[in-house]
Amino acid sequence: MKQALFEAQHEALWQRVATLLADKQPSNETQLPALYRQLCQSMALARQRGYSPLLTEHLHGLVLAMHRKLYGTPLERPMTLRRWLGVEFPRRVRQEWRLLLLVCLAFWGVAAAVGLLVWFQPHWAYSWMDWQELTRYESMYSPSKEHIGRDGSDDDVMMFGFYIWNNVSICFRTFAGGLFGGIPALFSLVFNGMHFGVIAAWLSRDPAVAEVFWSFVITHASFEITGLLLSGVAGLRLGLTLIRPGRLSRRHALISASRHIFPVLVGAALLTALAAFFEGFWSASSLIPPMTKFIVGGLCWAMVIGFFVFAGRGQHAA
Amino acid sequence: MLDGRLALLTPEGIRLSLTPAGPVRRAFAWTIDFVLWLIAVFVLAIATRFVMGDSNLGEGLFLVVLFLSYWGYPILCEVYAGGKTLGKRWMGLEVVREDGLPVGWRESSLRNLLLVADFLPMMYATGLLCMLFDHRFRRLGDLVAGTLVIYSPKTRARKAAQSGEAHPLPFPLTPEQQRALIDLVERAEHLPPSRCLELADLAEPLTGLRGEASLARLRAYVAGLTR
Repeated sequence: MKQALFEAQHEALWQRVATLLADKQPSNETQLPALYRQLCQSMALARQRGYSPLLTEHLHGLVLAMHRKLYGTPLERPMTLRRWLGVEFPRRVRQEWRLLLLVCLAFWGVAAAVGLLVWFQPHWAYSWMDWQELTRYESMYSPSKEHIGRDGSDDDVMMFGFYIWNNVSICFRTFAGGLFGGIPALFSLVFNGMHFGVIAAWLSRDPAVAEVFWSFVITHASFEITGLLLSGVAGLRLGLTLIRPGRLSRRHALISASRHIFPVLVGAALLTALAAFFEGFWSASSLIPPMTKFIVGGLCWAMVIGFFVFAGRGQHAA
Repeated sequence: MLDGRLALLTPEGIRLSLTPAGPVRRAFAWTIDFVLWLIAVFVLAIATRFVMGDSNLGEGLFLVVLFLSYWGYPILCEVYAGGKTLGKRWMGLEVVREDGLPVGWRESSLRNLLLVADFLPMMYATGLLCMLFDHRFRRLGDLVAGTLVIYSPKTRARKAAQSGEAHPLPFPLTPEQQRALIDLVERAEHLPPSRCLELADLAEPLTGLRGEASLARLRAYVAGLTR
């Protein structure tokens, strides 16, 4: 068959496909699969019969666009995010309990060890920080301040912006660093734990400062540290998969591990953003009495721990 | 054929070809995006200073927008604008899944968050090394997310068959030779005239003519082949 005759025979089909493709709205064209198969057949014929490259290229473009339209339509999954956060997130964290133990050890263990050292031998604090930094922290948490935990007269919104920018970025970097065998993620956790341990122990030595400091930290730490630890878990999972892919190839193992761990990463980022909200607008206020902060902070910790222990149990996996 | 194209076999038994894009082109796209981001941030900083004065409220909002644009811009672009950030659009690139379908939230987030890992230890050294060793130029983020950066498929407009009188071939040609002939005539208007004549001269064993006359004869052969 000559090309001109072939074109004349299929012109109507190609026109119809082109108009379908030009329509950006999700169409409820039930004929789409059948049309697509006809189009594929016409392209196969055009290629096999050696019709002009322009024609086959044109058909290839149509087929590619139809392929994307047909198979690329996202499934309707109502309330995916809610299910992820309410069910998949805690379940997958529980599945990774060994890694969670490891990151807790890397953060809390190091923080406790360094903190105890500084508590009993205060001069050790100077091996991590110089005295200017330590006095700056001390002045930030002095009981006479209007806004606790800040340098000057910084505004709530400004600090909220800063915490979002800084803390969530640290969370993401910790995750990404995990890919290299988990070493950079662990390093980030140990470093943050050390920093926290030194400052906490140093400030706790003065009872007046200690009350202000702990009442400032307790509420948002429940979300922020959990977020950091969980992003570390997500990163470590990728890193360990790279080291020990199991029965899959490294690439496939990484893809399936990243699918598995993605809800944890989303949850960790949301927790850190929530922490920034508390840190900016709640923790720093000197109007709220420390006792209230301790009670609310304790409730937050109980909620976080209770969530990861109990949420999503007894529901079928997605 | 030895070329950079990647063949995808679909369930319909059709081979779709995609062309993965290499490091240089992608680095250009990244640079464009980065410069655009810097300009936008700079303009925004001046605008907040201008509108809000030297207030901390403006600075706080600025930092929130900074965060959202820094991490969110590539993800939003890839999910909602067909896998193209502005830089990629300019360079004619797009991000697709390995099966050639558009990327979703998960793939896009993973590959853009892992850009940090590709950056290490400095200046995207890991990403470059990974791309050089991978036959589809995937960086670490692409490998983990299962994505691919390809050249956006371009479609040339289809043209009507050659008009004018047809002339039979003096001797039969193989299908490949016929295709080459048709391709030449279809591309003739994009070629410089002197190059066209040079090619027509090369076809002397087929047409027995030279120059313009040979080109006209080739057109007549093609008209005969397609009509």
